[in-house]
Parts: sequence; structure tokens; C-alpha cells
Amino acid sequence: MDGAMDDLREQFEAEARAAGSLEACKSLRDRWLARESGIVTLQIKRLRELPKEERPAYGQAVNRLRDHVERRLEELFAKAKAAAATAEFLDVTRPGFPYAVGHEHPIRRLQFEIERIFVAMGFRVFDLPEIEEEYYNFEALNMPRDHPARDAQDTFYLGASKLLRTHCSSVQVHAMECMKPPIRAVSTGKVYRRDPFDATHSPMFYQVDVLAVDEGIHMGHLKGNLDFFLRQLFRPDIRMRFRPGFFPFVEPGAEVDISCIFCDGAGCGKCKGSGWIEILGAGMVHPKVLRMSGIDDARYSGFAWGMGIDRVAILKYGVNDIRHFFESDLRFLSQF
Amino acid sequence: MRISIEWLREYLDLPESADRIRDDLTMLGLLVESVGECAGSRVLEIEVTANRPDCLCHYGVARELAALYGRKLRPVPISRALSLERERLPFSIEIRDPDLCPRYVGLVLDGIRVRPSPDWMQRRLEAAGMRPVNNVVDITNYVLLELGHPLHAFDFHRLREGRIVVARARPGQHFTTLDGVGRELDGDMLLIHDGAGPVALAGVMGGLGSEITEKTEAVLLECAYFDPVSVRRTSKKLGLSTEASYRFERGADRDGPVRAIARTAYFIRKLAGGRVAGSLRDVLARRIEPVRIDLRRARAEALLGVSLEDRFILSTLKKLHFRPARTGRGRWRVTCPSYRVDVTLEEDLIEEIARFYGYDRIPASLPPGAPAGTPSPAFRAECAARRILLGLGYSEAVNLSFADTSDFRMFGAGAGTPVQIRNPLTSDTEYLRASLIPGLVRAARRNFSYDRFDVRLFELGKVFSDGPGGPGERRALAILGTGAHTGRNWRQPAPGYDYYHLKGALEAFLQAMQCAPWAILPDRGIPWLNPADASILRLEGTTVGTLGSLHPALAEELKLKQAVFVAELDFTELVRHLREALPFRPPARFPSAQRDISVVVSREVPYADIHAAIAGMALPELAGIELMDVYQGEQIAAGKVSLLLRLTFQDPEATLTVDRLQRLGDNIRSLLRERFGADFR
Repeated sequence: MDGAMDDLREQFEAEARAAGSLEACKSLRDRWLARESGIVTLQIKRLRELPKEERPAYGQAVNRLRDHVERRLEELFAKAKAAAATAEFLDVTRPGFPYAVGHEHPIRRLQFEIERIFVAMGFRVFDLPEIEEEYYNFEALNMPRDHPARDAQDTFYLGASKLLRTHCSSVQVHAMECMKPPIRAVSTGKVYRRDPFDATHSPMFYQVDVLAVDEGIHMGHLKGNLDFFLRQLFRPDIRMRFRPGFFPFVEPGAEVDISCIFCDGAGCGKCKGSGWIEILGAGMVHPKVLRMSGIDDARYSGFAWGMGIDRVAILKYGVNDIRHFFESDLRFLSQF
Repeated sequence: MRISIEWLREYLDLPESADRIRDDLTMLGLLVESVGECAGSRVLEIEVTANRPDCLCHYGVARELAALYGRKLRPVPISRALSLERERLPFSIEIRDPDLCPRYVGLVLDGIRVRPSPDWMQRRLEAAGMRPVNNVVDITNYVLLELGHPLHAFDFHRLREGRIVVARARPGQHFTTLDGVGRELDGDMLLIHDGAGPVALAGVMGGLGSEITEKTEAVLLECAYFDPVSVRRTSKKLGLSTEASYRFERGADRDGPVRAIARTAYFIRKLAGGRVAGSLRDVLARRIEPVRIDLRRARAEALLGVSLEDRFILSTLKKLHFRPARTGRGRWRVTCPSYRVDVTLEEDLIEEIARFYGYDRIPASLPPGAPAGTPSPAFRAECAARRILLGLGYSEAVNLSFADTSDFRMFGAGAGTPVQIRNPLTSDTEYLRASLIPGLVRAARRNFSYDRFDVRLFELGKVFSDGPGGPGERRALAILGTGAHTGRNWRQPAPGYDYYHLKGALEAFLQAMQCAPWAILPDRGIPWLNPADASILRLEGTTVGTLGSLHPALAEELKLKQAVFVAELDFTELVRHLREALPFRPPARFPSAQRDISVVVSREVPYADIHAAIAGMALPELAGIELMDVYQGEQIAAGKVSLLLRLTFQDPEATLTVDRLQRLGDNIRSLLRERFGADFR
């Protein structure tokens, strides 16, 4: 009986010598240990058929065989796995598959980032047309025809009192016409001015305008709102400077500077040595603008501000020529 | 406005350094753009905002600094004796159009010797950016730069009659200004006449024929207040902006003319030997009352968010020469100085208080709570679309919104007529774009010129068209692909970008946007697309877009050396076909089964028809149809195509039996045989 087991053992060893690969190990294991028809399994099943007195010796022999097969298989598997792992090295330093990656437009990225910040602050986003009525672009913002402030905004006219909007500030009027206080409105988008296309000018650029109207809104709120926003947009350690400024649709009006992001306010070429960079215009909504839009200026007050998004992109990314934004040059775009 | 610090020191003690003055003026609202050096003085370049014409002169800036530093402002010396009992050169002033000229002040001086002005005056003029001419002209310029009020000096003997008539021009009247340019006027422009004819364009420029020359012996000085809007319109229409018009259109000091003329007389007497020969005439055709404003401390506090003391408010206003009269507790009626044309409302006074309180001292706080923020629907759809297209490997382009006629000729003008700009910058930006494709094609060509031949771009933006309701705009989305589909790769050659890449990107995009079921169908009638692959996108019965490669003739004209694929969608329309949420279907618990069939049909049969026919059987077990392979060639008859279809079957309630699968397959085969004459391989 032991002889039969020894034969099987020898047979196994012979097969084991040939089993180099993982696959061969698996079939060797199945051949010898499979639950129903493995060679060892069948030997174990035979135990029941034997007379009682032969069982202990047979059982021991079979168990020895099984232990041996299992131990050897473990060794073989370990060897095969190690062999498989070292069989063929890839050159992992070769480039990976070149999946195509789309690049965001830097101004558009900022535009959506700005809208996101304002939605989180409780503002409603207004999606306004680029073709605007003259009334909304100028008159309703306290810039009647023949107002010298219109000089700064040389306008493209389309006829029939329509024009290409020169700023997003008309969100103030649209928001006040369709909402009752409390109003929190923001609008971003393209604006147009009749400027030649060169390194520092573009006839088309992007702006964001913000409006808050409520009881008790004051200039401190304007500063708080801007302070929070500018820190989110640039970086948390940015400082802000408020100084008087003039925009026909606000009173008091303010110009807002941020500490120069290139020199941290020490003074450099980018900030003309002043340590400050002019970034936006702001103020308390002019009472005439409130009244024209049907808001009771005795009860409500508001703040408004507007900023060029291109200007932010120029500052944040150090872009030296505004034309890069509108020429779809992949050498430029693929940097974003 | 260039302001000389040396000059300012004539009006107040100013020991502060130029840098300090720069910072302080900037924080007062007079932005100093740069500090330079000219003619021996530090010179400030100040950006004076349109509302502050009173600061377009040295005295005005000195006034601000005196208020800020709490210093005394010295008055300027003037001539007081401006009238004669017996005039040597009598004259008269008549204002015929008081609406455009409420006030006109004149004075005649004789005995004048025209020569260069003294060095100190020349240096100051140069520091402020003006070229010295002769003493009389220099004096009027000097007073302009000093007090801000424009003056004009006529050669009295060259005026044909000793009188001044202020009256509108006749429509179409011609007039030659000092610069020698003949100009055609309209009936809203104001002229100064000498009785015989026009001698000056009021508030803008004098005329040829009455200007000061070396021979001038007597001058008539004009100092007037002209209507700002009228001067602005005249200046705009004629394209003629001068130091005078710049100030008049912003608003001169209506109470300023007499002082300005007295200051001029002072210098003419001192520097040109002139004597009064015709008494000062001050014709006030229309009285303009001083502005009075009610100011409440509580209102100022509410608007600024700080608490203020009455004492501070009063001292600030007085320093700035406002005259407050108390009308109650924390209430005043404030009379404004005539030169502060920007102050007409309580809020304007509050700004004055804030300027001297210091904007920087106002504490920042967040505004009170607001209702929840809401993005606009367009914002959400655009955000999603961008993210998907970026993920699909397309970069975002932003092109200028302008177009020219060749764009319309090549790519069509959309549904309406193009929107024309009345005052375009250049001839190639005369219209607004009707399509995003011309811009993207231009962008691709620009990239080709930089040896970037693999270009994948998209743009989301407005397109414009004119219609019965006037010019309008819609959102559009365009996609462009050309060159290699993915980047070049060492394992396999990159496939060339083709129609199915574009279509695949578009379909992946539509799927990710949760768009309603769509169909892409051939349409050979799109002029700028190659008939071989020109197609349209249809959504729920509406044509929403086009796709295909550029027409060979167009590619030839644009000198394109590689095929360029473009798609354009009406994004405004697309958004209407997006589904918020699709009903959930539980994943099946039973295994699915796949059966491949090879269908041989005529090449004329579009795949979409076969797909639609099978889908149209509405077999509940049919879960998917995929096109696995397409074969044309020797092994099948000419004119035929073999399509390998993989059909996926799934019964949600049970495992499908082989018999059932066989029957389903047979049904489909017989339908295809019947409908398309299909054979099976």
C-alpha cells in the first residue's frame, strides 16, 4: 500500500518538475487536489471502501501524500509567482498613453470661479445679453447722453438704440427691476469697447459686476464683501486699499487697489513703485440709479462694484499681451 | 493733468515731499499716476476724474491740499480797477442764446506790447505741459492752468465792430478755426461774433483773423460760462477737443469769470504794459442759483457704516468752503461753492465727509445674510458642457465676436441677416459673428502656422443675427478637430482625426449632458461642409446643429493641407432638450447573452435604418445593438457591405434559454431580410 503511495508521490514529483509557470502550477493543483476528481481526493475517497482494520495505515499514508503535495504546490506556486514577476520588465520610463487633455481658457476659468464664489455667498447669477439697450448701459446708470464719463467707454453702436454693452454694470438695473430687496446679484461676461486690438487693449474683454441692495447696506459691507472675495480670488494675505473714485452710478465712489502681488507691496516695476495695483471700481449705488429702477432710496441702500476679469488673469498668470487671450494659440492655451 | 509742486507752493505752505503729496492726493481721490521732474520742479501727473473739473488747475489742487493739511490758502493777486469813466475802446456784449451761454464777461485792454513772457512763467507753463507763445497768450494759458477757467483773447482792432454777439451758428455755416481747419457747423453750435461775422467757436477754439499777433496793441478778453452739453456736442461732432472744451464740457465755475479776468488783467498790466481801455462788462443772461443740500448726520452714518461727530462734519465741510447752516439736531442746509459742480445731492456731501474721514478707516464687515445663491440655468449648462469637452480632450477657445463679409460668404450668415456695427473699428470687424466656425477655423490655421497640426478646440459663445425684432443673440457651441486624434504615440501610429472622431465626441458630449435621444443624419445641402460627410444633428424633431469636414473648395480657398472637421450646435436650443433626471432602471439580476450576426446589405442602406428597424421591433429582451465591424471587399458581392452586429439580450425576470435566443435572432434576421433584402454570413 505504501508502495502505491510512493508511486503516486514519484509521479507527482515528475509532473512537478515540468510545472514551471503559474498556469502549469494551477493545472497541477487541479489535477491532484480538485474537490471531485483530484488524484489525491480520489485516494481519500477510497478510505471508506476499505475494511476497518486497514483504514488507519492507509489514512496515514494518504495524509502524508496530501501534505506532501500541498507543501510542494505551495513551493511551486511561490517559485512560479516570483518567476512570473521577474519574467519581463517593462520600461516604465517610456511615455504613457497620450490621452488627449483639454485646456481651460484662463479667463473662462476665472469667470466660473468668480460665479461659484458668489453663488456660495448667496448671490444670484444673472445671465445678460451682450447686445444691450442704450438705456440699460448708460441712462439707467446715471450716464445721460453727453455725459463726459461716456468718453472712457467708446461704444460700438448697432442702431435702433442698441449697442454692445460696455460693461456688466447694467446687471444693477436688470436685477433691481426683476427682484425686490434683499437683492444679491452678480453677472459676468464679455463687454465691448471701441479700442484697437493691441498688447494692452482689446475691443472685447470680460467683466464681473456685483450688486447688493438691502436695508442698512453701508460702505463697510462693500469693503467686507470685496475683502472676502479678493482674498479668495488671489490669496489670503492680499491687502486691499480703498480710495475715492468716480463712477456715475455710485456715490460715494471708490477705486480699489490690492497690494502688489509681484512685490508684496514693496514697490516694483509692475506697480510703478507704489506697492499697489488698481483692480476695480466700487461704491454705494447712486440714489438716482435706485430710483430709476424703482427702489425706494429712502428705505434701501446698496453697493455695487465691477472688475475686469482679463485684468485679474493678466495679474495672476503674468500674461504680457492681452491678445493671447483671444487668439486660441495652443502654445498659450496648453499652459492652463 | 500735470501739476507742478513748485507752483502749488505759491498758494500754500507745502513742506511735504513729492512722494507724500502723491500718496495723500491719491487717497483723496486725485490719483497721481506718476511723479516726474520738469523745468526745475517736481511734477505730478494726476488723473482727474470727469466729475472734478475744479481740480483741473493748480489752485484747485492747492485747495484740496490746504483742506487736507489744515493750512491757509493764499488768495491770488488780481486787478481791482477794471472800469473807466471814459472808455477809450468801448464795446458791447449781447447774448442771443442764453440757454447755451448764461454768462459772458469781457474786458478791453490797450497799450499792450506783445513779447515773450518772463522765464518763471515760461517754466511753469512748460512744467504743466504747455508751450510758451507770447506774453498775452501765455497769460491766458497761465490763468487757465492756475484757476481752471478758460479765457480767450481777441485782437480788439481785428474785431470788425466793437461788439460781441453770442449766437448759434446757421446750419451748414462754415468757420475756420485757429488751427487753420475749415469746419462746417450745425445750428446747435454756438459762435462768438464780432458784429460782422463769427470770430470764435464758443468754448472750443478761436478763429483765424482775430488771434493775437506780434502787432496786437489792444485785446478783448473773454471769460464766459458756456453750457457743458453744448460744448461737448460741438467738440464731439467736430472731433476737436481743446483745453477749453475739456473744462467747459465738465463744467466751469459759473462764478469764476470775473476773478479769472481780473487775474488776467493783473498779469497783462504787469507783464505786457496793458491798461484797461473798455470797462468790464458782465452780462448775466440767465441766473444760476447756488446749490443747497440738506445733510443729515444719521444718513451719512448709515451709508458709511461709521459714527460721526457733528464737529468733524462741520469742520470738513468748512475746510472745503461749503457753508453749512444748522437746521436741527445733526441736520444742516449746506450751500456749495460754485466750482463744485459735482456736488448736487446729499450723497455727494457724504462722499466729501468720507474722503476726509478716510476710506481706509471705514471698518469692513460682511453684509447681512441673504437668501440662498442661485446660478443661472445657462451658467450651469455651460459649466457642465465645458467640463465634458475639456475631459474629451478639446481645449477652450475664446475668439473675438466680430466678423467680416468673407466669413458670411464662406460659412453662411445663419438664419437671419448679419448684425452690422454702425461704427466699426476696422473693415474686418464690421459685423458680429453669425457662427463660431469661422473663428475656430482661423484659430486652427493660426496653429498650423506655428507647426501645431493636431488641433482640437471648442468654443462656447454668443452668435448674432438681425431679424424683425432687431439684433439678437443666441448661445452656440462649436467643436473643431484636425490632425492626429490623440497625441503621437510610440506603440501605434496615432489615427488621423476623422468624421467618426468628431461624431463620437459630439455623441459622448450629448450623452454626458443627459440629452434627449438624438439622430445624426446626412444633409448634403450645407454649403461649407463636404457633401461626403455633411450631416445634421436632430433632437426631438428639431435640427440643432451641423457637423462634417470643410468643403474641399473651401479648404482649397483657405489653403488647408489637412482635413478640418467642425460641428456647431445651437446651445440655447440644446439646453431645452436636456433631461434633469432619467428614470432609474434597476440593473438586471439575470445574466445577459450576446449574439453576433453578420448582415450583408446594399451599401445604399444607411446603418441608422438597420439600427432603427431592429430597435423598432420593440423587443423587450433586446438590451443593446452594437456595430462591431464593417467589411467591404472580395468576399462579398460588389456594392454590398457586411455589418457585424452584436445584439445583447436580457430578460429582467429570467435567464434566457438557448431556444429563446435562437428565436429572437431568427425574428431579427427575417425582418432584415424582408426590409433590406439582407443576407447573412
